[in-house]
Amino acid sequence: MTRKSLQRACVIAISLSLLNLGSPVIAMAGIIDTQTVIEAGQRDADLATIRAGLDRTDVRQQFTSLGVDPAVVDMRLAALTDAEIAQLADEMQQMPAGGDILAVIGIVFVVLVILELVGVIDIFKKT
Amino acid sequence: MTAKAAGAVVGALLAAGCVHRPPLIEPVLAAPAEPVVELSDVPFFPQRDYQCGPAALATVLSAAAVAVTADELVERVYIPGRKGSLQLELLAASRGFDRLPYPLEPTLPALLSEIAAQRPVLVLQNLGIDSVPIWHYAVVIGFDATTDHLILRSGTTQRMETSARRFMSSWKRAGFWAIVILDPGTVPDGADRGRYVEAAAGLEAARRYDAAARAYDAALRRWPDDPLALLGLGNVNYARGNLVDAEAAYRRLLAVDPAHFIARNNLAQTLLDRGDLQSAMTEITAAQASIDDLRFAPLLAATEAAIRQALEKQERPQR
Repeated sequence: MTRKSLQRACVIAISLSLLNLGSPVIAMAGIIDTQTVIEAGQRDADLATIRAGLDRTDVRQQFTSLGVDPAVVDMRLAALTDAEIAQLADEMQQMPAGGDILAVIGIVFVVLVILELVGVIDIFKKT
Repeated sequence: MTAKAAGAVVGALLAAGCVHRPPLIEPVLAAPAEPVVELSDVPFFPQRDYQCGPAALATVLSAAAVAVTADELVERVYIPGRKGSLQLELLAASRGFDRLPYPLEPTLPALLSEIAAQRPVLVLQNLGIDSVPIWHYAVVIGFDATTDHLILRSGTTQRMETSARRFMSSWKRAGFWAIVILDPGTVPDGADRGRYVEAAAGLEAARRYDAAARAYDAALRRWPDDPLALLGLGNVNYARGNLVDAEAAYRRLLAVDPAHFIARNNLAQTLLDRGDLQSAMTEITAAQASIDDLRFAPLLAATEAAIRQALEKQERPQR
Protein backbone atom coordinates (compact mmCIF):
# COMPACT_ATOMS: atom_id res chain seq x y z
CA MET A 1 0.00 0.00 0.00
CA THR A 2 2.60 2.48 1.16
CA ARG A 3 5.11 1.32 -1.36
CA LYS A 4 2.58 1.50 -4.17
CA SER A 5 1.55 5.00 -3.17
CA LEU A 6 5.13 6.12 -3.01
CA GLN A 7 5.79 4.65 -6.42
CA ARG A 8 2.87 6.57 -7.76
CA ALA A 9 4.11 9.75 -6.11
CA CYS A 10 7.51 9.15 -7.60
CA VAL A 11 6.08 8.72 -11.08
CA ILE A 12 3.98 11.85 -10.70
CA ALA A 13 6.90 13.84 -9.34
CA ILE A 14 9.16 12.76 -12.17
CA SER A 15 6.51 13.43 -14.81
CA LEU A 16 5.86 16.87 -13.44
CA SER A 17 9.51 17.74 -13.21
CA LEU A 18 10.03 16.62 -16.80
CA LEU A 19 7.11 18.67 -17.97
CA ASN A 20 8.50 21.75 -16.33
CA LEU A 21 12.08 21.59 -17.46
CA GLY A 22 13.13 24.75 -19.18
CA SER A 23 9.96 26.49 -18.19
CA PRO A 24 10.10 29.66 -16.11
CA VAL A 25 6.86 28.62 -14.44
CA ILE A 26 7.75 26.86 -11.23
CA ALA A 27 5.91 23.72 -10.26
CA MET A 28 6.17 22.28 -6.79
CA ALA A 29 7.53 19.08 -8.30
CA GLY A 30 10.89 18.78 -6.60
CA ILE A 31 9.93 20.67 -3.49
CA ILE A 32 8.93 18.57 -0.49
CA ASP A 33 6.16 20.60 1.04
CA THR A 34 5.75 21.56 4.65
CA GLN A 35 2.58 19.54 5.24
CA THR A 36 4.29 16.37 4.05
CA VAL A 37 7.06 16.90 6.56
CA ILE A 38 4.57 17.47 9.38
CA GLU A 39 2.63 14.35 8.38
CA ALA A 40 5.76 12.24 8.15
CA GLY A 41 6.74 13.37 11.63
CA GLN A 42 3.38 12.35 13.05
CA ARG A 43 2.73 9.04 11.38
CA ASP A 44 4.54 5.95 10.24
CA ALA A 45 2.09 5.26 7.47
CA ASP A 46 1.99 6.76 4.03
CA LEU A 47 2.34 10.46 3.47
CA ALA A 48 -0.99 12.23 3.36
CA THR A 49 -0.22 14.30 0.30
CA ILE A 50 0.04 11.14 -1.68
CA ARG A 51 -3.55 10.25 -0.90
CA ALA A 52 -4.81 13.79 -1.11
CA GLY A 53 -6.09 13.59 -4.65
CA LEU A 54 -8.33 10.64 -3.89
CA ASP A 55 -9.50 12.03 -0.57
CA ARG A 56 -10.44 15.39 -2.03
CA THR A 57 -12.73 13.71 -4.55
CA ASP A 58 -14.30 11.69 -1.76
CA VAL A 59 -14.81 14.71 0.50
CA ARG A 60 -16.23 16.74 -2.38
CA GLN A 61 -18.85 14.04 -2.90
CA GLN A 62 -19.69 13.86 0.78
CA PHE A 63 -20.10 17.62 0.98
CA THR A 64 -22.45 17.80 -1.98
CA SER A 65 -24.52 14.89 -0.74
CA LEU A 66 -24.89 16.77 2.56
CA GLY A 67 -26.36 19.71 0.71
CA VAL A 68 -23.35 21.99 0.35
CA ASP A 69 -23.61 24.11 -2.81
CA PRO A 70 -21.31 22.52 -5.41
CA ALA A 71 -20.26 26.02 -6.48
CA VAL A 72 -18.52 26.64 -3.16
CA VAL A 73 -17.23 23.16 -2.37
CA ASP A 74 -13.88 23.68 -4.06
CA MET A 75 -13.31 26.96 -2.29
CA ARG A 76 -13.95 25.20 1.02
CA LEU A 77 -11.68 22.29 0.18
CA ALA A 78 -8.87 24.58 -0.95
CA ALA A 79 -8.45 26.00 2.53
CA LEU A 80 -8.00 22.61 4.19
CA THR A 81 -4.68 20.84 4.65
CA ASP A 82 -4.19 17.37 3.24
CA ALA A 83 -4.26 15.89 6.72
CA GLU A 84 -7.55 17.65 7.43
CA ILE A 85 -8.98 16.38 4.15
CA ALA A 86 -7.94 12.86 5.05
CA GLN A 87 -9.62 13.23 8.43
CA LEU A 88 -12.81 14.52 6.81
CA ALA A 89 -12.83 11.68 4.32
CA ASP A 90 -12.77 9.18 7.17
CA GLU A 91 -14.94 10.85 9.81
CA MET A 92 -17.15 13.56 8.36
CA GLN A 93 -20.35 11.85 9.44
CA GLN A 94 -19.21 11.34 13.02
CA MET A 95 -17.40 14.60 13.71
CA PRO A 96 -19.05 17.11 16.02
CA ALA A 97 -21.09 19.57 13.98
CA GLY A 98 -21.80 22.55 16.18
CA GLY A 99 -25.40 23.51 15.53
CA ASP A 100 -28.06 24.44 17.96
CA ILE A 101 -30.24 23.23 20.75
CA LEU A 102 -33.26 23.64 18.47
CA ALA A 103 -32.34 20.25 17.07
CA VAL A 104 -33.57 18.65 20.23
CA ILE A 105 -37.18 17.52 20.16
CA GLY A 106 -39.65 15.16 21.72
CA ILE A 107 -38.48 12.56 24.17
CA VAL A 108 -34.92 13.72 23.99
CA PHE A 109 -36.18 17.09 25.14
CA VAL A 110 -37.93 15.60 28.16
CA VAL A 111 -34.84 13.61 29.09
CA LEU A 112 -32.75 16.72 28.85
CA VAL A 113 -35.13 18.71 31.02
CA ILE A 114 -34.80 16.06 33.69
CA LEU A 115 -31.02 15.99 33.41
CA GLU A 116 -31.00 19.78 33.54
CA LEU A 117 -33.13 19.82 36.67
CA VAL A 118 -30.77 17.51 38.51
CA GLY A 119 -27.83 19.60 37.36
CA VAL A 120 -26.06 17.07 35.18
CA ILE A 121 -26.18 19.28 32.10
CA ASP A 122 -26.65 22.93 31.30
CA ILE A 123 -28.44 23.76 28.09
CA PHE A 124 -31.21 26.05 29.18
CA LYS A 125 -30.61 29.69 29.91
CA LYS A 126 -31.03 30.89 33.44
CA THR A 127 -32.08 34.41 34.18
CA MET B 1 -33.27 3.30 56.45
CA THR B 2 -33.21 6.89 57.68
CA ALA B 3 -29.50 7.13 57.09
CA LYS B 4 -30.02 5.86 53.57
CA ALA B 5 -32.68 8.52 52.89
CA ALA B 6 -30.43 11.21 54.31
CA GLY B 7 -27.66 9.99 52.05
CA ALA B 8 -29.96 10.29 49.06
CA VAL B 9 -30.86 13.86 50.00
CA VAL B 10 -27.19 14.79 50.39
CA GLY B 11 -26.47 13.16 47.06
CA ALA B 12 -29.24 15.13 45.36
CA LEU B 13 -27.99 18.35 46.91
CA LEU B 14 -24.47 17.62 45.72
CA ALA B 15 -25.75 16.88 42.25
CA ALA B 16 -27.79 20.06 42.23
CA GLY B 17 -24.72 22.05 43.13
CA CYS B 18 -26.14 23.39 46.38
CA VAL B 19 -22.98 22.62 48.30
CA HIS B 20 -20.23 25.19 48.35
CA ARG B 21 -17.41 24.35 45.99
CA PRO B 22 -14.07 26.10 45.54
CA PRO B 23 -13.88 28.64 42.69
CA LEU B 24 -12.11 27.73 39.45
CA ILE B 25 -11.08 31.05 37.97
CA GLU B 26 -9.43 32.87 40.85
CA PRO B 27 -6.77 30.23 41.67
CA VAL B 28 -5.51 30.01 38.08
CA LEU B 29 -5.29 33.71 37.27
CA ALA B 30 -1.74 34.92 36.80
CA ALA B 31 -0.54 36.75 39.91
CA PRO B 32 -0.95 40.44 38.97
CA ALA B 33 -4.15 40.04 36.97
CA GLU B 34 -7.39 41.91 36.62
CA PRO B 35 -10.09 39.89 38.40
CA VAL B 36 -12.74 41.03 35.94
CA VAL B 37 -12.20 41.30 32.19
CA GLU B 38 -14.94 41.75 29.62
CA LEU B 39 -14.29 42.47 25.97
CA SER B 40 -17.44 44.52 25.52
CA ASP B 41 -16.45 45.74 22.05
CA VAL B 42 -16.61 42.25 20.57
CA PRO B 43 -19.54 42.33 18.15
CA PHE B 44 -22.52 40.03 18.39
CA PHE B 45 -24.09 38.03 15.59
CA PRO B 46 -27.23 36.30 16.82
CA GLN B 47 -27.42 32.85 15.28
CA ARG B 48 -30.22 31.70 13.03
CA ASP B 49 -31.54 28.18 12.88
CA TYR B 50 -28.65 25.82 13.46
CA GLN B 51 -26.02 28.29 12.47
CA CYS B 52 -24.00 28.94 15.59
CA GLY B 53 -20.83 28.11 13.62
CA PRO B 54 -21.08 31.07 11.22
CA ALA B 55 -22.23 33.32 14.07
CA ALA B 56 -19.39 32.42 16.43
CA LEU B 57 -16.82 32.58 13.66
CA ALA B 58 -18.06 35.98 12.48
CA THR B 59 -17.72 37.18 16.06
CA VAL B 60 -14.05 36.25 16.43
CA LEU B 61 -13.12 37.23 12.87
CA SER B 62 -14.69 40.65 13.35
CA ALA B 63 -12.75 41.05 16.58
CA ALA B 64 -9.64 40.30 14.50
CA ALA B 65 -10.49 43.19 12.13
CA VAL B 66 -12.05 41.12 9.35
CA ALA B 67 -15.13 42.74 7.87
CA VAL B 68 -17.52 39.82 7.60
CA THR B 69 -20.97 38.85 8.76
CA ALA B 70 -22.42 35.55 9.92
CA ASP B 71 -24.59 35.36 6.81
CA GLU B 72 -21.54 35.63 4.57
CA LEU B 73 -19.90 32.74 6.39
CA VAL B 74 -22.80 30.33 5.97
CA GLU B 75 -21.65 29.24 2.53
CA ARG B 76 -18.14 28.67 3.88
CA VAL B 77 -18.79 26.66 7.02
CA TYR B 78 -22.38 25.42 7.20
CA ILE B 79 -23.30 21.87 6.21
CA PRO B 80 -27.08 21.55 5.73
CA GLY B 81 -27.05 17.75 6.00
CA ARG B 82 -25.35 17.92 9.39
CA LYS B 83 -27.29 20.98 10.55
CA GLY B 84 -24.08 22.44 11.80
CA SER B 85 -20.44 23.31 11.19
CA LEU B 86 -17.28 21.27 11.60
CA GLN B 87 -14.30 22.47 13.61
CA LEU B 88 -11.94 21.91 10.69
CA GLU B 89 -13.99 24.16 8.46
CA LEU B 90 -13.90 26.97 10.99
CA LEU B 91 -10.11 26.76 10.77
CA ALA B 92 -10.20 26.64 6.98
CA ALA B 93 -12.56 29.59 6.64
CA SER B 94 -10.35 31.72 8.91
CA ARG B 95 -7.38 31.03 6.65
CA GLY B 96 -9.41 32.29 3.72
CA PHE B 97 -9.37 35.73 5.37
CA ASP B 98 -5.60 35.64 5.91
CA ARG B 99 -6.00 35.04 9.61
CA LEU B 100 -4.26 32.37 11.62
CA PRO B 101 -6.58 30.10 13.63
CA TYR B 102 -4.58 29.04 16.67
CA PRO B 103 -5.86 26.07 18.70
CA LEU B 104 -5.40 26.77 22.39
CA GLU B 105 -3.87 24.47 24.93
CA PRO B 106 -6.94 22.71 26.39
CA THR B 107 -6.93 24.37 29.79
CA LEU B 108 -8.82 27.10 31.61
CA PRO B 109 -5.65 29.16 32.30
CA ALA B 110 -4.86 29.21 28.57
CA LEU B 111 -8.39 30.40 27.82
CA LEU B 112 -8.27 33.10 30.50
CA SER B 113 -4.90 34.42 29.40
CA GLU B 114 -6.21 34.91 25.86
CA ILE B 115 -9.16 36.88 27.21
CA ALA B 116 -6.73 38.94 29.30
CA ALA B 117 -4.76 39.54 26.07
CA GLN B 118 -7.94 41.05 24.57
CA ARG B 119 -8.68 38.11 22.29
CA PRO B 120 -12.13 36.49 22.39
CA VAL B 121 -12.01 32.69 22.34
CA LEU B 122 -14.21 30.52 20.12
CA VAL B 123 -15.11 27.33 21.97
CA LEU B 124 -16.96 24.14 21.18
CA GLN B 125 -19.31 22.95 23.90
CA ASN B 126 -21.29 19.79 24.29
CA LEU B 127 -24.45 21.03 25.97
CA GLY B 128 -25.90 17.55 26.11
CA ILE B 129 -24.28 14.41 27.43
CA ASP B 130 -21.76 12.08 25.90
CA SER B 131 -24.42 9.68 24.58
CA VAL B 132 -26.74 12.48 23.40
CA PRO B 133 -24.32 15.20 22.33
CA ILE B 134 -25.55 18.69 21.51
CA TRP B 135 -22.65 20.47 19.88
CA HIS B 136 -22.58 24.21 20.15
CA TYR B 137 -20.11 26.97 19.32
CA ALA B 138 -19.90 30.04 21.51
CA VAL B 139 -17.41 32.84 22.08
CA VAL B 140 -15.97 33.54 25.51
CA ILE B 141 -15.54 37.30 25.87
CA GLY B 142 -14.86 37.72 29.57
CA PHE B 143 -14.52 36.36 33.04
CA ASP B 144 -15.31 37.49 36.55
CA ALA B 145 -13.13 35.92 39.20
CA THR B 146 -15.17 37.54 41.96
CA THR B 147 -18.28 35.56 41.01
CA ASP B 148 -16.43 32.68 39.26
CA HIS B 149 -18.39 33.28 36.07
CA LEU B 150 -17.50 33.37 32.39
CA ILE B 151 -19.16 35.75 29.96
CA LEU B 152 -20.13 34.46 26.52
CA ARG B 153 -21.71 35.47 23.27
CA SER B 154 -23.83 32.42 22.63
CA GLY B 155 -26.61 31.57 20.23
CA THR B 156 -29.21 34.29 20.41
CA THR B 157 -27.92 35.61 23.73
CA GLN B 158 -25.66 38.62 23.42
CA ARG B 159 -24.32 38.43 26.96
CA MET B 160 -24.54 35.14 28.79
CA GLU B 161 -23.03 34.67 32.21
CA THR B 162 -22.37 31.09 33.12
CA SER B 163 -20.64 29.63 36.13
CA ALA B 164 -17.10 28.48 35.44
CA ARG B 165 -18.00 25.04 36.75
CA ARG B 166 -20.91 24.59 34.38
CA PHE B 167 -18.90 25.94 31.49
CA MET B 168 -16.02 23.60 32.24
CA SER B 169 -18.22 20.52 32.19
CA SER B 170 -19.75 21.38 28.80
CA TRP B 171 -16.34 22.36 27.44
CA LYS B 172 -14.77 19.18 28.76
CA ARG B 173 -17.41 17.10 26.99
CA ALA B 174 -16.24 18.78 23.77
CA GLY B 175 -12.60 17.93 24.38
CA PHE B 176 -11.71 21.43 25.62
CA TRP B 177 -11.56 22.61 22.01
CA ALA B 178 -10.89 26.33 21.62
CA ILE B 179 -9.31 28.62 19.05
CA VAL B 180 -8.30 32.24 18.80
CA ILE B 181 -8.01 34.14 15.54
CA LEU B 182 -4.65 35.85 15.17
CA ASP B 183 -3.21 38.36 12.82
CA PRO B 184 -0.43 36.24 11.26
CA GLY B 185 2.24 38.59 12.65
CA THR B 186 1.18 37.91 16.24
CA VAL B 187 2.39 35.10 18.48
CA PRO B 188 0.50 34.85 21.79
CA ASP B 189 2.52 34.96 24.99
CA GLY B 190 3.16 31.42 26.10
CA ALA B 191 2.22 30.02 22.69
CA ASP B 192 3.25 26.46 22.02
CA ARG B 193 5.93 26.40 19.36
CA GLY B 194 4.82 23.27 17.53
CA ARG B 195 1.17 24.24 17.57
CA TYR B 196 1.87 27.74 16.30
CA VAL B 197 4.17 26.67 13.47
CA GLU B 198 1.73 23.99 12.35
CA ALA B 199 -1.01 26.58 12.31
CA ALA B 200 1.22 28.70 10.08
CA ALA B 201 1.73 25.68 7.84
CA GLY B 202 -2.06 25.50 7.55
CA LEU B 203 -2.04 28.95 5.97
CA GLU B 204 0.64 27.77 3.57
CA ALA B 205 -1.40 24.69 2.63
CA ALA B 206 -4.37 26.96 1.95
CA ARG B 207 -2.07 28.89 -0.41
CA ARG B 208 -2.33 32.07 1.60
CA TYR B 209 1.37 32.56 1.00
CA ASP B 210 1.79 36.15 2.13
CA ALA B 211 -0.05 35.49 5.37
CA ALA B 212 1.90 32.26 5.87
CA ALA B 213 5.19 34.09 5.35
CA ARG B 214 4.21 36.65 7.97
CA ALA B 215 3.32 33.87 10.39
CA TYR B 216 6.63 32.06 9.79
CA ASP B 217 8.52 35.34 10.23
CA ALA B 218 6.70 35.93 13.51
CA ALA B 219 7.48 32.38 14.62
CA LEU B 220 11.16 32.86 13.79
CA ARG B 221 11.32 36.06 15.79
CA ARG B 222 10.11 34.06 18.80
CA TRP B 223 12.00 30.83 18.04
CA PRO B 224 14.88 31.80 15.71
CA ASP B 225 16.04 28.29 14.77
CA ASP B 226 12.75 26.46 14.43
CA PRO B 227 13.33 23.94 11.62
CA LEU B 228 9.74 23.68 10.46
CA ALA B 229 9.29 27.47 10.34
CA LEU B 230 12.52 27.83 8.34
CA LEU B 231 11.49 25.09 5.93
CA GLY B 232 8.02 26.62 5.62
CA LEU B 233 9.46 30.07 4.97
CA GLY B 234 11.63 28.60 2.22
CA ASN B 235 8.69 26.75 0.69
CA VAL B 236 6.40 29.78 0.80
CA ASN B 237 9.02 31.89 -0.89
CA TYR B 238 9.55 29.20 -3.49
CA ALA B 239 5.81 29.07 -4.13
CA ARG B 240 5.74 32.85 -4.56
CA GLY B 241 8.63 32.64 -7.00
CA ASN B 242 11.08 34.36 -4.64
CA LEU B 243 13.88 31.91 -5.30
CA VAL B 244 16.58 34.04 -3.68
CA ASP B 245 14.65 34.23 -0.41
CA ALA B 246 13.77 30.54 -0.65
CA GLU B 247 17.44 29.64 -1.02
CA ALA B 248 18.35 31.86 1.93
CA ALA B 249 15.79 30.16 4.18
CA TYR B 250 16.93 26.65 3.21
CA ARG B 251 20.56 27.62 3.81
CA ARG B 252 19.67 29.09 7.17
CA LEU B 253 18.01 25.80 8.12
CA LEU B 254 21.01 23.82 6.90
CA ALA B 255 23.30 25.98 9.03
CA VAL B 256 21.23 24.90 12.04
CA ASP B 257 20.89 21.28 10.92
CA PRO B 258 23.30 20.21 8.17
CA ALA B 259 21.68 16.76 8.03
CA HIS B 260 18.24 18.17 7.11
CA PHE B 261 17.92 16.27 3.86
CA ILE B 262 14.54 17.77 3.04
CA ALA B 263 15.90 21.31 3.20
CA ARG B 264 18.80 20.15 1.05
CA ASN B 265 16.45 18.55 -1.50
CA ASN B 266 14.44 21.75 -1.68
CA LEU B 267 17.62 23.80 -1.95
CA ALA B 268 18.72 21.58 -4.83
CA GLN B 269 15.38 22.12 -6.59
CA THR B 270 15.68 25.87 -6.06
CA LEU B 271 19.22 25.91 -7.47
CA LEU B 272 17.98 23.89 -10.45
CA ASP B 273 15.31 26.49 -11.08
CA ARG B 274 17.91 29.21 -10.83
CA GLY B 275 20.04 27.41 -13.42
CA ASP B 276 22.92 26.52 -11.11
CA LEU B 277 22.95 22.87 -12.12
CA GLN B 278 26.33 21.90 -10.68
CA SER B 279 25.47 23.21 -7.22
CA ALA B 280 22.04 21.58 -7.49
CA MET B 281 23.69 18.22 -8.19
CA THR B 282 26.10 18.68 -5.30
CA GLU B 283 23.23 19.42 -2.92
CA ILE B 284 20.96 16.58 -4.03
CA THR B 285 23.84 14.13 -3.73
CA ALA B 286 24.51 15.37 -0.19
CA ALA B 287 20.78 15.14 0.57
CA GLN B 288 20.68 11.52 -0.54
CA ALA B 289 23.72 10.76 1.59
CA SER B 290 22.06 12.15 4.72
CA ILE B 291 18.55 10.73 4.22
CA ASP B 292 17.23 8.95 7.30
CA ASP B 293 13.60 8.40 6.31
CA LEU B 294 13.35 6.19 3.27
CA ARG B 295 9.78 7.21 2.54
CA PHE B 296 11.32 10.33 1.04
CA ALA B 297 13.82 8.46 -1.13
CA PRO B 298 11.62 8.49 -4.26
CA LEU B 299 11.09 12.23 -3.95
CA LEU B 300 14.82 12.86 -3.70
CA ALA B 301 15.40 10.51 -6.62
CA ALA B 302 12.90 12.51 -8.67
CA THR B 303 14.73 15.74 -7.90
CA GLU B 304 18.02 14.12 -8.83
CA ALA B 305 16.57 12.82 -12.10
CA ALA B 306 15.35 16.28 -13.00
CA ILE B 307 18.76 17.79 -12.31
CA ARG B 308 20.53 15.05 -14.25
CA GLN B 309 18.26 15.58 -17.20
CA ALA B 310 18.89 19.31 -17.15
CA LEU B 311 22.63 18.67 -17.08
CA GLU B 312 22.42 16.31 -20.08
CA LYS B 313 20.38 18.80 -21.99
CA GLN B 314 22.99 21.45 -21.23
CA GLU B 315 25.86 19.25 -22.34
CA ARG B 316 24.16 18.17 -25.55
CA PRO B 317 22.23 21.13 -26.85
CA GLN B 318 19.62 20.56 -29.54
CA ARG B 319 20.68 20.59 -33.19
